[in-house]
Amino acid sequence: MQSKTTESLFQTFRDHLDSHHDTRERLIKASRDITNISKKTIFALHRIALEEQDRQVQHPGRNAAIKAYESLSEVKAIYEKLQPELEGDSFWRYERQVSPGLQEYIEALSFAHYLNHGSLITYDQVQETLLDSNGTPYFPLTIADYLLGLSDLTGELMRYAISSITKKGGRERAMSICAFVRRCRSDFERMTPYIRELSKKQAVTTQSLEKIEDAAYTIVLRSSEYELPPDILDDIVAQVIATHSSGRIDLTMD
Amino acid sequence: MDPQLLENLNGLLDKEVDLREKIREQVNELDKKARTMVGLLNKIHSTSPEAIPALLDTVRPHLSGVQSVTLSLSEIIPQNQFWRWKDMWTNSLRTVVFCAALVEYLSTRALLSLPDAAKIIGVREEWSDRIALPVEDYLHALISLVNELSRLAINSVTLGNFEEPLKISQFVKELFAGFSMLNLKNDLLRRRYDSLKYDIKKIEEGQS
Repeated sequence: MQSKTTESLFQTFRDHLDSHHDTRERLIKASRDITNISKKTIFALHRIALEEQDRQVQHPGRNAAIKAYESLSEVKAIYEKLQPELEGDSFWRYERQVSPGLQEYIEALSFAHYLNHGSLITYDQVQETLLDSNGTPYFPLTIADYLLGLSDLTGELMRYAISSITKKGGRERAMSICAFVRRCRSDFERMTPYIRELSKKQAVTTQSLEKIEDAAYTIVLRSSEYELPPDILDDIVAQVIATHSSGRIDLTMD
Repeated sequence: MDPQLLENLNGLLDKEVDLREKIREQVNELDKKARTMVGLLNKIHSTSPEAIPALLDTVRPHLSGVQSVTLSLSEIIPQNQFWRWKDMWTNSLRTVVFCAALVEYLSTRALLSLPDAAKIIGVREEWSDRIALPVEDYLHALISLVNELSRLAINSVTLGNFEEPLKISQFVKELFAGFSMLNLKNDLLRRRYDSLKYDIKKIEEGQS
């Protein structure tokens, strides 16, 4: 073995490793940016949807969703730029760096979709938002990312249900979210063995579900006790919730 | 979730499980071969220099046997999914490459190059999106080689062969110089590289 060959050999290895690490760092940074955009979008969705309920517009949440789609198009722009680095097999090489941001994006997107349509966004609908101008996916969407993103959605829905339970029509909304989250949970259950992180998220979904169920239960209990018209009941609920700071709803009125 | 979608997703997940099982079968095969070779090569520490070539000849058929596993993997793994499944066989493959590099060093005293290593395990350029030998795995195999040679340097002295540590020392130092050119991140490769200096120290002790 001559030193010269060893040196030039390791030179190529160095270049290779450097470029790999650079790509990795870029993707981690991009994933963080995408997470930030998505988180902000989720906050905005909550905020605007609640405002819309206050103003009693016909389909509260719809405008929020439209604004969310707009801000999520920034995510698309980031993926567009990353496309060359994720082509072919590269996506799989860097999947662990891409996934966190992607799941956050799916969470935000599915929340907007729910507020807009009242339904669960499908796998194809998510993939459709991640296509370049030729209709080619930026990267293959994995079922794991899709499901894990949706699994986080249930937590947002729980927050949404509880914070809007005091608004007009809030109890009805909480009921339908409750049923929706329950369906999500049972749909995901069979897929849990295939996807490592899903079982942990299922546990969180179960907790969220229980919180909504408790809230719904308390409200049913109270409304049967008081036999009040829904409007007045709404006001009572609003009053009680306003004085209540912890996450659990407990409508003790005396 | 729409029942149709649910069914599709479940179908896809079932397929992935089938694929994983098929790969697992091949990886088990690869692992068996790797362990057999490691077992055989372990004898270098107690074999006199004259008997080494014959010992290496017993390893070579197992090395070329790896090619059939590589071929099967190239057929099983879907297009563009090398990195998706690679973790399943990384360890076994590194061991195989380490064995190949050790056989090469003991036969020719030369460093097995990455392309030659790929050739020995039967990886073809046109399969690179399904099965390949990445630089990282090759480097890991080289570190295992240094680990092993530092043991050999000591054990050769025990067997009365005082030439061996000198040869090994020169080879390993050059490899070490090569490794120190790399910008390693704080990962396994880095930690293993850091351990090389103890190997070098061990070899140098064998020389004196």
